[in-house]
This record gives sequence, structure tokens and C-alpha cells, in this order.
Amino acid sequence: MGKILPSEDVLIRMQRDLKRALQRDPKKVRWTMVIDQGKCTGCHSCTLGCVAENKLPPGVVYRLVIEEEIGRYPAVRRRFLPRPCMHCQNPPCTKVCPVTATYINNQGVVVVDYNRCIGCRYCLVACPYSARTSDFGEWYTRNTPEAPSILVGRTKAAQGYELQPATEYGRKWPQRGTGSPIGNARKCHFCLHRLAVGMLPACVTTCTARATFFGDRNDPESLVYQLLGSPRIFVLKPELGTQPAVYYLK
Amino acid sequence: MQRTSFYFFIGLAVLGLLVGSWGMVQRLLYGLNPVAFGSYVPWGLWVAFYLLFLGLSAGAFLVTTLAYVFEMERFHRLGRLAAYTVLIVLLCEVLFITLDLGRMSRIYRFLISPSFTSLMTWMFILFNAMLIIYALKTFFLIREDLVAWSQDPQRKGRNLYRLLALGKSDYSPADRARDHKTVHGLSLISLPVGLLFYGTNGAFFAILMNRPIWNSALTPLLFIVAAVLSGGALIAFLTHVFLRDDELVTSLGKAVLYNLVILVFLEILQFFVGYLGDNPRVVAALDLIALGDYWWTFWIVHLGLGGLIPLLILIFSKNSPRAVTWACALIVLTFLAVRFNFIIPDLAVYKLEGLEHTFYHARLRTHYTPNLNEWLVSLWVVSLGLLAFLLGSRWLPVISSDHRGGMQHAH
Ligand code: SF4
Ligand code: SF4
Repeated sequence: MGKILPSEDVLIRMQRDLKRALQRDPKKVRWTMVIDQGKCTGCHSCTLGCVAENKLPPGVVYRLVIEEEIGRYPAVRRRFLPRPCMHCQNPPCTKVCPVTATYINNQGVVVVDYNRCIGCRYCLVACPYSARTSDFGEWYTRNTPEAPSILVGRTKAAQGYELQPATEYGRKWPQRGTGSPIGNARKCHFCLHRLAVGMLPACVTTCTARATFFGDRNDPESLVYQLLGSPRIFVLKPELGTQPAVYYLK
Repeated sequence: MQRTSFYFFIGLAVLGLLVGSWGMVQRLLYGLNPVAFGSYVPWGLWVAFYLLFLGLSAGAFLVTTLAYVFEMERFHRLGRLAAYTVLIVLLCEVLFITLDLGRMSRIYRFLISPSFTSLMTWMFILFNAMLIIYALKTFFLIREDLVAWSQDPQRKGRNLYRLLALGKSDYSPADRARDHKTVHGLSLISLPVGLLFYGTNGAFFAILMNRPIWNSALTPLLFIVAAVLSGGALIAFLTHVFLRDDELVTSLGKAVLYNLVILVFLEILQFFVGYLGDNPRVVAALDLIALGDYWWTFWIVHLGLGGLIPLLILIFSKNSPRAVTWACALIVLTFLAVRFNFIIPDLAVYKLEGLEHTFYHARLRTHYTPNLNEWLVSLWVVSLGLLAFLLGSRWLPVISSDHRGGMQHAH
């Protein structure tokens, strides 16, 4: 029965794994995500969690959930495929960047240096998973009708949310205006800013079905290490040799 | 060119600049926000124009090949016109690609943090090599005239010519011999550099695995042929308009014909292998070209107006310089369709099945139609190029030597 009824929430286990990983030599850590398709209910919470965490503007998305319908009526099923950046260990996107603005960091996470990226979008074209989107400077609050208000007015109040950018990559970015990351390529970064302070990526914690697992695959005690041994494990488009660090369980 | 038509085209260019400046203002104020492309079709009309102008610069490559490799002496006469055309079209090309950058103020990054694994870096290097070669070539080809013009008391703007001649006030036969040699050397260098430039431009797309049509060793070859075809057609057209040299026009017409046949042949191969290979993604991309929303740009604009009609003219009226000029003009004017059909359909195939049904936003769709802003900006750049070309043709000794000294045989 112990196996069937979990004695603790996997989040607690992953939290412990994370604490341990943070104590290890950072160069030895290889962040890894495992997504269990069998558990995913297609609720899109991870997408929303990510959008909120990273204050993503309209048209920019790091992790969306693809919904597939398989089979023919009446034998129809639905299957869901959350798709973050795969953090390929042989990434086609970094090789094409002409100005070394995107690269794998020493923990195997593919990052974008917003202050360096010239916005050529070659990496968007090169990524086989469509995991990158470009920030075209869209606003949720554009064209919000102004309404009288005692304190600040509706537009201002609404913009308050959008103006303050997230602390992506652990930096304090200037107010959203016309500067970076507008015009840049943007993508999932495994919430490096959260990891640094001992928090799991936003999508992992918001997943209502506990279908997303995260940890250091170089740590034999970690949950992801164990999951990688499962016969259900697979990666997307293995034939391309991109060697994703995001795995799926069938 | 007649005075009246000269002023007509100047007027047209100025009008284009005025109208297009509305788009430019939007572009400069709001970045890429006003454009219609998004994250799934990240390159649009401007990249198609960029490729078009990049290819148009290959006219000089064709002329130099004919002059040196095939030892056709009379093509030396086209040296100036061809070199100057390269300068103008490269200007347009670089404007298009710079305007396409999300953060164009960071273009200096190519110098301070280049990555040599990226073919875009190599395109940047080769572009600059081409610019330097053809700027030097133009300079040495027209130096004699510049010196003569700067000494001519009747000529307006003598000081400008003195400046352009870098202060040189006399031009000896020894200078002439030296300049001839320099130009000869530059022409020879331009051949391998040009080949690399056009080939790399194709390889830029070919190395992208998982792109249905681009990812093929055929792509670089296709780019070289496409460049020489469009560039050759442009030079033939300009030769007729500015130099009125019938013999040159008809022989250029022949070279253009061969290239047109090769291009169509390569395209047929692409479709043949693609459809018979039956890879669903390749078939989807080919279907988008042949049967998609823009089928007419492929069948009517490219294959009809830019393929079949010029082909017939070049075969049956090959000895009429006027007819050849019209055929070449048709090829140049319709070539944007070739570039557009190369860029867009390959991007418009969703990379993962199901992406089209999730997370709706206009920037996350593969349906792309260039919007007014993109057309206005394009109009502005093309008008600027036209204006620069026309002004140069009148105020610089770049077309012919004005019969006041200068190298008749320009190479
Ligand atoms: S999924 Fe795409 S963006 Fe992410 S590392 Fe791989 S190629 Fe790069
Ligand atoms: S968009 Fe930015 S990160 Fe991507 S290839 Fe261009 S410069 Fe590099």
C-alpha cells in the first residue's frame, strides 16, 4: 500500500532534493525536468503560473500545454503535452546566435542574456520545439478605457502590474517601457531566480496534478534521477540529437 | 537616361520616401510592435527584401565571371555600372536587415561578442568584405574621372570631387596602370568572396535542421543561382537604360536565360524529391507554396510573369535588346515572390503538432500577411536606394566616363 498511497507530497521531496543540490558544487549540478503525461490533466496551471511568475506580456509564452486528441470516435482520448524549453544539452539555438547572447550555463540551463541579444530571431527559427518567443512589446492594458477614479484611474492601476518586470535571471530589471527584454528572444529559464533562493520553478509548484518533477539528475538520491530510470521515459524529437534535459513519462 | 525620365524617377523616389517615412517613424518609435510577423513566423517581408537585394548584388559577380573566367573582353565595359550597383543594393540590403532586428542599436555586438559558430556572423563578415571590395573597386575605377572633374573649372561641386579623389590633382599614365592592376586584383578576389557570400546565405538556412525545405544541400546552390539570375537581370536592364549597348544586353540576356533554366530546374527537383519523399512536413511546406494562400505569388507572379514569359522572350527574341530588357525587368520585379516563397512557407509549418490549437495570440500563429507598416518601411528603403542610384548616376562618374578622359574599359 505504501507505494500506492504516497506518504508525502512529491513537492516536499523535491524541495529536499533542491536544498541538497544547492549545497553541492554548482558545477556538478545538472537541472532536469520530468513531465508525467499520464498524470497531466491539461489544466494549464503551469502556463499560468509561469506567465504570472515571469510577468510575461501578451504573445510571449515559455511553457504552454499542447492538447492532442488521439484515436477515432468512439475510441477517442485526449493527451496533454506541457512544453517548456527542453534545455537541450546539444542546443541548435545557441549555435546560431551571432553575438553569443544565448548559451548553456554551467548547470546545463540554456539562458538568454537580455542585454546582449540583438533580436535577430535566428534562434527562434532554429529551435525545433518552438520554445522561444520574441517580445514584441505588447501590453495587456493597451486600450484599457480610462474611467474616472478617486485615486489613480483605471489605466494606471492596471498598468501598475505590467510596469514592474519580474526578477528574471535574478536581476532587477528597469520598468517595462521600450528597453530589453522588449525586442529580445525570451524563453523558459527553469526559474533560475527562484532556484537561487531555494524555491522550485513556478510551473512545478503550480501543477495541480503533480505531473512535473524537477531536480538535479547528477544526484542519485533525487527524484528525477530515479524517474530517469523508468521504462516510460522519452524525449521529444530524439532523432534530432538535441539531447533535451526535459524528459517525459509516457 | 533621358532628362525627363530621370526627373520622373527622382520624383518617384522622393514620393516613396515621403510616403514610406510614415512607416519608418512607427518603426523607430515602437520597434517591432507595428509589424505583422510574430514568434512562429519570426521573419517576414523585410527578410524577403533583404534576400532580394542581397541577390541583386550578384550582377557584378556575373559580369566579372564573364569578363575573367570566360574571357569575354567586352564585359569589362560594365565594370563601373556593376560595381556601383553593388554598393547601392548592399546599402538597401543592410538597411532591411538592420530594421528587422528587435534591438538594432546593438548591432555593434557583432564586433565585440561575435560567435563564429553562427553563419549570421559569417554573413556579417562576408557582407563587409563585399562592401570593402566593391567600394575600393568603384573608387579605383572612377578615380581618373574624379581627378579630371575636380580640375575642370566649369564643373559644379569641384571641391566635392577633390575630396572624393582624396586631394589628388594629377593623374599620370603610371597611375592609370596601377589602378588598372588594383581593379584587376579586386575583381579576382571578388569571385571567391562572392561565391562564398551567396553560398553562405543559402547555408544560413540549410543548416537549420527540422526545417522542411531549407534543410538541404541544395539550398546554397539554389541561392547562388537565384542571386546570379536576379543580379544578372538587373545589370542587363541597367545596361540597356544607361549604356544603350545592344551587344552587351543580348549577351547578358543569354547568361540570364541559362540561369533561369537552372533555377526552374532546381525548383522542379525540390518539388519532385519533396513530394515523392512524402515526408508530411515537407509536403505541408510545398503545399503551402503551391496551394496555400499565396499560391498566386508562386504560379502567376514567379512562374508566369517571372518565369515563363521571360523564358519565351529570351528564347524567341534573344536578338532584340528591347525585348531582352523587358524580360530582365520582369524577372527583377517578380523576384520578391521567389524570396517570399522561400522564407514564409517553411516557417509556416507548425513545429509541433497541436501548437496551433493552444495559447492563442496573433504572434503565435503561422498565418502571416505583411501589413501596411512593413510595406511602407520597404517602400522607404527601396526609394532611398533608387534616389541614391539616380543621384550617383548623374553626379558621379559611375555609369560612363563622360568622354573626358577616364577609363573606357573599366576593369
Ligand atoms: S528547446 Fe529550443 S530553445 Fe530550448 S534549448 Fe532546445 S533548441 Fe534551445
Ligand atoms: S534573437 Fe537574440 S538570442 Fe536569439 S540568436 Fe538573435 S541575438 Fe541571439
